[in-house]
Order: sequence, then C-alpha cells, then structure tokens
Amino acid sequence: MKSLILKDLYNIGHNAKSMIFILLILAFALIPSSGVEGYIIMSGILCSMMIITTFSFDDQSKWLKYAMVMPVTRKDIVISKFIVLLIFSAIGAVIGLVIGAIGGTIAHQGIFSSINDMLTLLFTGAASLMISEIAGSMSIPLLFKFGAEKARILMLVSCLIPAAIFFGIYKLFILMGVSFTDQTIFILLCCSPFLALVWNFFMYKISYALFEGKELL
Amino acid sequence: MEPILQVENLTKQYPDFKLDHVSFSIPKGAIMGLIGENGAGKSTTINAILDLIKKDEGVVKFWGQELSSDPRNIKENIGVVFDGVNFYETLTPAKIGRISAAAYKQWDETAYDNYLKKLQLPPRKEIKTFSRGMKMKLSIAVALSHKPKLLILDEATGGLDPVMRDDMLDLFLDFVQDENHSILMSSHISTDLEKVADYITFIHKGKTLFCKEKDELRYQYGIIRCKTDQFEAIDQSEILAYRKRDYQWDVLVADKEKARRKYKTAAVDNASIDDILLLYVKGDQVK
Repeated sequence: MKSLILKDLYNIGHNAKSMIFILLILAFALIPSSGVEGYIIMSGILCSMMIITTFSFDDQSKWLKYAMVMPVTRKDIVISKFIVLLIFSAIGAVIGLVIGAIGGTIAHQGIFSSINDMLTLLFTGAASLMISEIAGSMSIPLLFKFGAEKARILMLVSCLIPAAIFFGIYKLFILMGVSFTDQTIFILLCCSPFLALVWNFFMYKISYALFEGKELL
Repeated sequence: MEPILQVENLTKQYPDFKLDHVSFSIPKGAIMGLIGENGAGKSTTINAILDLIKKDEGVVKFWGQELSSDPRNIKENIGVVFDGVNFYETLTPAKIGRISAAAYKQWDETAYDNYLKKLQLPPRKEIKTFSRGMKMKLSIAVALSHKPKLLILDEATGGLDPVMRDDMLDLFLDFVQDENHSILMSSHISTDLEKVADYITFIHKGKTLFCKEKDELRYQYGIIRCKTDQFEAIDQSEILAYRKRDYQWDVLVADKEKARRKYKTAAVDNASIDDILLLYVKGDQVK
C-alpha cells in the first residue's frame, strides 16, 4: 500500500511546480473578484483532480498490470487511490488557505479583522477539503471503469453529479420547510466529514467491484 | 520433486482467440522457454498464470499453492519483467528503488545498488532519457532485487541488441545457479532460448504443441530435405510436420538418427528451434 501511494506522490511531484504556478495565477484572478473563500474551494478541487493525472500516468506506463505482480492486492490498489485523493485534497485545502490568506491580506479583504473571520476562513478550508474529497472520489470509479482517456469528461461528470445530488437534497429541505440559517450551515459543515466518509465508502465499494473483474493486459 | 510452477489445462476464451488447455511445469533450477509465433498465446498464458486475466478453466500452482490462496507471500517470491518498464517516465531508478522497497519485505537495497552499478544505470536520471535496453536492464534489476525464486520474463529480451541480450542471458544463467530458482521465459527470439533454456514449451494457436527438454529437440529432432518421390516414401507416422518448398520438401522428424539410417538418399539436417517453429507454423502438421 505504501509503495502505491509513494509511486503516485513521486509521479505527481513532477507536476507540483506547475500546479503551484496555476494556483498563484488563480489567486490573482479569483481573490479580488470571488473572494478568498471561493479561491480556497477552487484550490482544493483543482488539487483533488490530480487523481485523474495519476490514472493517466498509470495508463501510460501500464502500471496497474505491473502493480498486480507486486505483493499487493486489487483492494490495496483501490484503497491507495482514495488515500492519495485525500492527500491531494488536504494539500489543496492547505495551499488554498495559505495563498488565500496572503492574497486576502494583500487585497485588503479583512480576513484577519476578527476571530469570526478567521474561523470562517478555517471552516472554508475544511469545506474545501470535504467538497474536493466528494467530487474527487466520484471520479475514481469512473476512472477504474473507463480509464484516464476520458478524464476531461469525467472531471465534469464527477463535479456535476455530486453537485446535482446535493442541490436536490437542498431543494428537498427547502420544500420540507427547513430554512438554512448560519447555524444549520454550521451543523451541516460539522456533519460533512461523516458525509464524505460515507460517500467515499460507497465510491470505494463501486471502484473495487469495477476493478475486481478488470482484465489487465 | 515438487515443481516451482505447475500449469494444468489453462484455458481462456476470447471472441477471436482461445488459449486451449495449456499445460506445463517448471522444475526447480530450470529455465523454461515459452515459444510460439506472435499471437500464439504466450503473453495470454503469462497473464493468466499471474491472475492478470481471469482463466475460464485450469489450475496454476506456485510451490504447490494457487496464487489466490496467499497472494502477498507468493508474489514476494516472483519477479516479473514485461516488455518494457512499467514505471512512469519521470521517475528515476533511485525513486523506483524506494517504491519497490516499500512493496517487498525481501527487498535488498544493496543488491539493487549493485545491479544498478553492474548494469551501468545512473540512479538519479529520469528513465525517459534511457534507451530501451537500459529500461529493460532496470526492470530486470528491480525484479532480481527482491530475491525472487521464480523469474517470469515476457519478451524481456525483445528489441535488445545482441550484446545486451547476451548480458541479460548471463544474468539469467547466474540466477539459476541457485537450484531453488527457476525462470519462465517467453520469447520469439529462439536463439536466446537455445542458449539458456532447459525446457521448451511450444504454443501454437493457443495450444501446447509440445513441452520437451531442449536437448531432446536439439539432439534428436531432425529435418529431412528431400524430393517429392523421397517424401512419398517416408513413413507418415514418423512425420511431425512438413513443408513444400520450391525444389524440395522439408520434413520434421523426432528421431534424426533413425531417419538417417532409414532414408539414406535424403539429407537429414539438425533442427534448430527456429526450424521446428517454422515447420510447425508455416508447414502442414501431421502430429
């Protein structure tokens, strides 16, 4: 398992500089217009999408076939992808927080003006992690099923499906007369790690079912 | 003595190809060559042996155990080299060493460093700058550094120049100096197998044509080169395969000395593995 994670980190390490560069450019573009919060969430999602790149590298080097002759199981391979996604999402959220905080300060957005603002920033970081985890984990079964060739379409699908589901749930709550106050949002945010965990578990189950029977030629 | 690898009736059906009840076994200390034309089923056999594809029928046992019974421990003892390197091109041999060290309990860092030195592979250079030969050397270094007892090589010497191939073959011969080690080596370069293999399994159109000791093929098989009237006089039961050429018939027989005694007017040549392969593939098969 450790070797599988290490391999993905080494592979993607090569792209780290360009990712930081993209995040810096986005900071200039997004922070003044959409605010720090939007930037932090965007940073998490962008970094989580690097999971698609790891599949692309795997396809190019026929890695999965080779991995299966190492002392690892198909289960290990699937789990490792979810762990790598968590690492990417966490890195994205942290980088988003750091660059966002610096950018917000430069852009005079008053993010450190009160404890409340600082807490909002931290909660946005946590939300970024959860959103990118949920969006990214949706792409993993699709990647195991269809391969990285269709990554561009999958990236869109993997963002749209959870967004549509959550929008549907949101609409359902509205219909049921539940109003979304700051407190409800806070409660939802506190519940989001469990939500992400359950979501990831289902995505893992689907991914494993798809990968278990896959022939590696 | 229990074989290191035992393959029995391995079958895999595809819409346009069938691997049909392939069987062979590899004793300890031996090199088994898997030969056959392109598309004969060599790689399918290896993929099915390694559980990379699901077999429809048959049993594969490593040291008497099926791979699925204890995959981690069994795979610790198997080194595999496919046709090329399966690491992404921006990795370096040093990083590949760290990845492999995390995967294998038996990984020997010193042995890996020694292989890199011996095979003249720069540890900190990205593998995208390597030649095909260097990539193959790297794959073999990785496969050997976790101290496997069985090496499985799928066209591992294909595309290498003769000097590099010879270096690789020397490494394989060194490996089987330990009598607990064995190699399964698929190749369509039959001269490589003639140099190192102890046994030859010939797969043709998905079926095992034979599994024999190489020396039996080299010292007993022969090719009768004859005219049409001489060909007609040959006992059909002795013919394994034959091929009509412009001015002569080439006839493969299992006992060349007997053929020399019996058909004195015909020339009986030694049969190389290439000759045997060609006659079976391009000629007409009797047996």
